[in-house]
Amino acid sequence: MKILVLNCGSSSIKYKLFAMDKGEELAQGAIEKIGLKGSFLKLSMPNGQKVILEGEILEHKIGIEYILGVITSKKYGCIESLDEIGAVGHRVVHGGEKFNSSVLIDAEVIKKMEECIDLAPLHNPPNLNGIYAISELIPNVPQVGVFDTAFHQTMPEHAYMYGLPYSLYEKYSIRRYGFHGTSHRYVSRRACEFLNIPYEEQKIITAHIGNGGSIAAIKDGVSIDTSMGMTPVEGLLMGTRCGDVDAGILSYIMEKENIGPQAISTIVNKYSGVIGISGVSSDMREIEDAIAAGHQRATLAMKMYDYRIKKYIGSYAAALGGLDVLVFTGGVGENQFSTRQAVCENMEYMGIKLDKEVNWGMRGKEKIISAPDSKVKVVVIPTDEEFMIASDTKDILGK
Amino acid sequence: MAETIIEPIENFGLSDKDRKKSLFSKIGVVGCGKDGRNIVRLTASAGLEVTFIEISQEKIDYALDKISTDLDTKIEGWGLTPGEKRMVMGRIKGSTDFAALKNCDFVIECVRYDESTGERSTPQRKEAFKNIENVVSPKAIIATNATTVIISELASELQHKDRCVSMHFPVAHAEAKLLEVVKGIYTSEEVYQQVLLFAKLIKYDTIEVHESSGLVSLRLLVIILNEACQMMMENVAAMESIDKMFEVVYGMRLGIFQMADIVGIEKIVSLMEDMFDEYGDKKYKPSPVLWRLYRTKQLGVSSGKGFFIYENGKPVRANIFI
Repeated sequence: MKILVLNCGSSSIKYKLFAMDKGEELAQGAIEKIGLKGSFLKLSMPNGQKVILEGEILEHKIGIEYILGVITSKKYGCIESLDEIGAVGHRVVHGGEKFNSSVLIDAEVIKKMEECIDLAPLHNPPNLNGIYAISELIPNVPQVGVFDTAFHQTMPEHAYMYGLPYSLYEKYSIRRYGFHGTSHRYVSRRACEFLNIPYEEQKIITAHIGNGGSIAAIKDGVSIDTSMGMTPVEGLLMGTRCGDVDAGILSYIMEKENIGPQAISTIVNKYSGVIGISGVSSDMREIEDAIAAGHQRATLAMKMYDYRIKKYIGSYAAALGGLDVLVFTGGVGENQFSTRQAVCENMEYMGIKLDKEVNWGMRGKEKIISAPDSKVKVVVIPTDEEFMIASDTKDILGK
Repeated sequence: MAETIIEPIENFGLSDKDRKKSLFSKIGVVGCGKDGRNIVRLTASAGLEVTFIEISQEKIDYALDKISTDLDTKIEGWGLTPGEKRMVMGRIKGSTDFAALKNCDFVIECVRYDESTGERSTPQRKEAFKNIENVVSPKAIIATNATTVIISELASELQHKDRCVSMHFPVAHAEAKLLEVVKGIYTSEEVYQQVLLFAKLIKYDTIEVHESSGLVSLRLLVIILNEACQMMMENVAAMESIDKMFEVVYGMRLGIFQMADIVGIEKIVSLMEDMFDEYGDKKYKPSPVLWRLYRTKQLGVSSGKGFFIYENGKPVRANIFI
């Protein structure tokens, strides 16, 4: 069975086509700048040849039409007809409390997804646009929705509730939902396969860290806590997001700067985090260059970034009642060995002992980076959300 | 590694049926004074390409510079990032040639107010309408930003009159996102609906208003303002106190005098005269206080002095020379 995976963002669509029977990736590419000037579709051919197709792509439906056109084309395609596509899997950012696992999409599910728009007004509408487009272009192909929030729906009430009036939870569903669920689920499972240990019997902390980032505590195969909250602002220090702050500060800033809810949201989402502290960039590679050049605030930003991860690992180890596996993934987790080292420094007391030599310079592949005598296994697992979406899609249709 | 292959995407669509042009891919604005700049900035911020027409390169540069400063103010107020500003500025182009509006599907005439009379020249606006019609497609919408009875008159000399519509962008403050949309005698329902869609695109709410002098927003403003001036002349209360009452008790963002300074005294006087001509009621006659400010060129924020004295666009104290 061939499965097409779509990840529709506000102005982009990433896609991958898998031949699930062979576990093979047939095609991948992305459309960028939808609805803007200079939109294009980029793809890599199996021989590594890069192709850019330029032209006006005004909306998601047109973009998806081009994706279908490209994968069936003689020149850059890999299938002969759209009939070969057995199913389409979609990434959906927010499933609220309505979805605790991936689902086969029907009219009822779409209605429930539309009800979740309120919780992720920027992310869910483009996800839905992708679903509408497929329903129209290849109406007989089954579609599956895979939610970023679903994996964390197993969190216990005492972990997902905020200490705010309960009536606000009842009125607006204000609670922790968590994000990157598909990635946390994939890397935690994959780590256990890689280490050849039973997934359902481990205490795992997964650190999905990149420009955005979150940490999850996974006990016996289920998520029991995660650092992102109702929105992706909470938790770790990120590229441009502040992560945890004293909630009292927000109203204080609003009063002092005489600004409204939109501006405070811009501050915490776009002006904070690594770029806000360093004043240099939100890109960790540029931060590393600045540190090498002696930039003090870049050094501070990096220290804060690393420290916050360490702090969460400590608190989640407490929540889990111990730790068996620590997984690093995401752009920074997979590639930035200095951050991995800083995070794991002086953690021997809780069983984390890094093999510094193995860790240093290790980028982008599955690898054990803890010392052989480390009680906790520390591993790097490159994330593959698209594969997870495809595999969920296959499982659901196989049921 | 071989070089990246670049080619047009058009050959890879499944069919042509859905590849129609978007409703508003490019917007035109004629005249880039205060109101025009506001519209250009809003439209570009909403992700649309905008081309504006000005009479000289100097005016184009001035307008671009002012828009850039406005966006900087937004950045200072945490409403925008420098990266977003670059994207917005990248969507804006200025030209002295109406031909630059060729591919626009929506053009807004915004010929500026004469600085000394506070009036907008009707012949000049008619000329602008004709120039626009000469270059755009017959389907393109032509709108005017106006508060007087004008759209039917401006449309009357065009070939495709049904595409003309009038709207009014409020200038009182940044959050005043309510557009008055006015149907002229000729305006078709389709065009009217498209304008409502445009408003949605730039995140403005709309109200339907019939073609009338002052519309709703300014007709309300001038009557309250006249009464406030009267109270000031009778020495009922100080100007700041009247403004405070308006703000605190009635929940307004700004006082009535401060709002008048923002709109511009010259515009208010000229609009009130227009309303008096239209309705014949003396309640629309500008108060002597307004005339005094008008004649002494104390025109509000734009001249640094009006009911209040302004420094860097912010009121610092009441103007004692009223």
